[in-house]
Amino acid sequence: MASTAATRTAAGAARVVKPLFSRDLDEAKRRVRELYRAWYREVPNTVALFQLDISTRQAKDKVREMFVKNKHITDPRVIDMLVIKGKMELEETIKVWKQKTHIMRYFHETENQRPADFLSRFYQGHDP
Amino acid sequence: MLRFPAVGRALSGAAKGSLAPSNSVRTQSRAAGTMVEVFVDGKPVEVEPGTTVLQACEKVGIQIPRFCYHERLSVAGNCRMCLVEIEKAPKPVAACAMPVMKGWNILTNSDKTRKAREGVMEFLLANHPLDCPICDQGGECDLQDQSMQFGSDRSRFTENKRAVEDKNIGPLIKTIMTRCIQCTRCVRFASEIAGVEDLGTTGRGNNLQIGTYVEKMFMSELSGNVIDICPVGALTSKPYAFTARPWETRKTESIDVLDAVGSNIVVSTRGGEVMRIMPRLNEDVNEEWISDKTRFAYDGLKRQRLTQPMVKDASGQLTATSWEDALTRVAGALQGAQGSEVAAIAGGLADAESLVALKDLLNRLNSDSLCTEELFPMDGAGTDLRSNYLLNTRIAGVEDSDVLLLVGTNPRYEAPLFNARIRKSWLHNELRVALVGRQVDLSYTYDHLGEESAVLQELASGTHPFCEVLRAAKRPMVVVGSSALQRADGAGILAAVSALAQNARASSGVDEGWKVLNVLHRVASQVAALDLGYKAGVEAIRNNPPKILYLLGADAGCITRADLPKDSLVIYQGHHGDVGAPMADIILPGAAYTEKNATYVNTEGRSQQTRIAVTAPGTAREDWQIIRALSELAGVALPYDTVDEVRSRLAEVSPNLTRYDDVEGANYFKQANELASAVDQTLLAAPLVPPQLTAKDFYMTDSISRSSQTMAKCVKAITEGASAVDEPSIC
Amino acid sequence: MAEYVNIVRRALGQLGGHGGVRGFFVQLFRANDVKTGALIGVDKYGNKYFEDSKNYFFGRHRWVLYTTEMNGKNTMWEVDGSMVPAEWHRWLHCMTDDPPTTHPPVPRKFLAETHQFNVSATPQQYVPFSTTPKKIHEWVPPRAH
Repeated sequence: MASTAATRTAAGAARVVKPLFSRDLDEAKRRVRELYRAWYREVPNTVALFQLDISTRQAKDKVREMFVKNKHITDPRVIDMLVIKGKMELEETIKVWKQKTHIMRYFHETENQRPADFLSRFYQGHDP
Repeated sequence: MLRFPAVGRALSGAAKGSLAPSNSVRTQSRAAGTMVEVFVDGKPVEVEPGTTVLQACEKVGIQIPRFCYHERLSVAGNCRMCLVEIEKAPKPVAACAMPVMKGWNILTNSDKTRKAREGVMEFLLANHPLDCPICDQGGECDLQDQSMQFGSDRSRFTENKRAVEDKNIGPLIKTIMTRCIQCTRCVRFASEIAGVEDLGTTGRGNNLQIGTYVEKMFMSELSGNVIDICPVGALTSKPYAFTARPWETRKTESIDVLDAVGSNIVVSTRGGEVMRIMPRLNEDVNEEWISDKTRFAYDGLKRQRLTQPMVKDASGQLTATSWEDALTRVAGALQGAQGSEVAAIAGGLADAESLVALKDLLNRLNSDSLCTEELFPMDGAGTDLRSNYLLNTRIAGVEDSDVLLLVGTNPRYEAPLFNARIRKSWLHNELRVALVGRQVDLSYTYDHLGEESAVLQELASGTHPFCEVLRAAKRPMVVVGSSALQRADGAGILAAVSALAQNARASSGVDEGWKVLNVLHRVASQVAALDLGYKAGVEAIRNNPPKILYLLGADAGCITRADLPKDSLVIYQGHHGDVGAPMADIILPGAAYTEKNATYVNTEGRSQQTRIAVTAPGTAREDWQIIRALSELAGVALPYDTVDEVRSRLAEVSPNLTRYDDVEGANYFKQANELASAVDQTLLAAPLVPPQLTAKDFYMTDSISRSSQTMAKCVKAITEGASAVDEPSIC
Repeated sequence: MAEYVNIVRRALGQLGGHGGVRGFFVQLFRANDVKTGALIGVDKYGNKYFEDSKNYFFGRHRWVLYTTEMNGKNTMWEVDGSMVPAEWHRWLHCMTDDPPTTHPPVPRKFLAETHQFNVSATPQQYVPFSTTPKKIHEWVPPRAH
């Protein structure tokens, strides 16, 4: 009995949380679509501006991949926060506050996965 | 030559030869009511009577500048830098030599004091060359620092400077005598701490010179310490000359492993290279001194190194290979062998982590033939009781002792810092020393009881005249050298020494906390290995030759190819190509003590850790990691991946191994004695002769010091004279 | 009019001057050029040296057609500037106007009998020894027997 009361108050508390921008999921989704569209339009420009050694197709695929990566999120406030971050990234890209290497970091070209098991670490170097 | 009051006993001590019981231990405690109140810059402080002005200031936290004063040496009072003004005194007084009087007000920063310092500094600099930019002491020079702080900002000196001829005092110490300010710290160190009367002064006034009177070497195993105590650049390190500056080196606090004392050291490194090794203060172990081997053998870390895994190819030639290949071969051999066909020998430089990993690996392969190179009698209590193989009284305990009996050991070369403690106690505390074994120069006088083992039996049975002295002793100590226990009759000797110690203890009536029996080891790994349950000595392996022999840094050469069957596989894991590596089929390169975080236990049972100062060369790896990787390939993966996990395993086996800087006391002397007396082994007639008799035998004892060129030069200089290794001087 | 005729004649000469259709394409792909000129000489390896100072400006008026096999190496497609021997090098680079065909070079001791290629970027290249001391001297295992 007490536990149900507790869940009810918790649920009640969750309901009155102040929204970030969007009042419901539909509005949040709209913001995501707007951001996606903005990125999609910006991609050819970015590839040309930063003289990236990739095709527009690859860049668009990457944008799509980055969005799809977060598709499981349903909390409008989390979605809003991610949209804000995406807008900041977009602004930095459009205004060339980034450099080529920062753009190419989305593609994880030079990242080496560090081995986790003892033997591979042993083979790889002094200080695993 | 200058003589100092404290060394008076060094001269008169030789006359003391009778067996009269010595007087009691010097008491330090004084009645609390007789404290003297003095004022330092107006601040009141209570000190004991007899305290010097300098010590009283130190108690308040004020450092008086000094050159000749050193707290571990006698007071000379000849540099005059510590002049301070005492209120109502007519003249400034030398703070290092003046005992305080009641109610004095010491003014450490008055105009008169500052003027006195400035004047002294001006006189000191009058004859000091201005070659700081090419001086090796630059950056850590007392004169440089203090002239910046207390000296004048301009010179009035227009005359010619005095010049002094440099001396060649051996391959370790470089002398630039013009820089000397005649503080006589080195002279006092040599005669008081090192116990060699080699250095002295000649001439008076402006012509005073430090030297060896005649052309000869400064022959001491502690000679390198004069480099540290020299306040200027007159005595500097020859191997380190012009190689690095103190501000560009990185300092790592570590532990020395070249003897069993475990001296605390600081490793200075630059660019992945050890530039020099200096002592670190530890009152319980090495005070602030280190031996020459500790200090100068570091160039052995750069030569003869194993940098990549090697395997023997079809023609029997060792060729470099990859870790995968080498480890797979070893693992394959281990998997194909029965448990009893695998054995391991641990050498003198192995750390506790690799020892426990190797033991776990072999135990998982159903083998228990794990041995150390150093022998120890396994009869009686053997290594089962920890008190049997430790220096139970501890190194600092010598200072509380009043009678010390050395059996079959030469501590001067087996453990120079322990010997320095004995000398300190002999000098200041009237410690009486006796020796059974070959008569050697220990730098202090002692009663030589003979070198026959029969003397030991007489002592044990109480019929020897010296037993009277032991009986009268308040806090007796008996130290037996590990080499004496490595004879064929080692168990008998241990039994005799144990009985002797037990008798001395009973007659002295000392409280339970005082330990009498001590064993002085010579290698750093032995105590840890015995704590972990290794068998001492390779006799078992020689009697039952294994198919696969794993050498963990075993370089003493106690097992050769001739002792093993033709088709046996020898694996050597270590850091130097010395004795063990050439006989191996597979070589796994490990890390030396400056290249790993490792635990070492010294002869007292004090566990201390070394720290990584430089990375291991080439593809060499830390030792426990090699064994851990090998275990995984052999299908018996050990359950630890990080050094912390290895240490928790160490703590499981023997908790004292991870209680760093702490000594876990051992007990059960009585039981050990009873078990030892059950051993019925007659002593051989052969005399007790420790392997290191003269300075020549001191320098090259292990794989690191054997590959050191500096140590080789020392041996050459001793045998052929200092001029034989004289290098053309650059400066 | 006459200059146009001349251009056409030169064009036809360049098309047909390399030994038929196959020769033309071989020349085009090997040298990236099909220009023709007066053959000044052929060295002992088979490199052919041409000159045409009338139609080309200075710097392009002398050229070499490399041989297809030199010093045992197949140089059909792998040509290298160092294939030109010393005596022709000075003519080719306009240090002199006298080709070694009319003015044979004075024999010198240092002139190689057989011309060597440049060995840079090959295993045979010269590498100056290091003058910095080694930080770690590794152990060299003893020779077996």
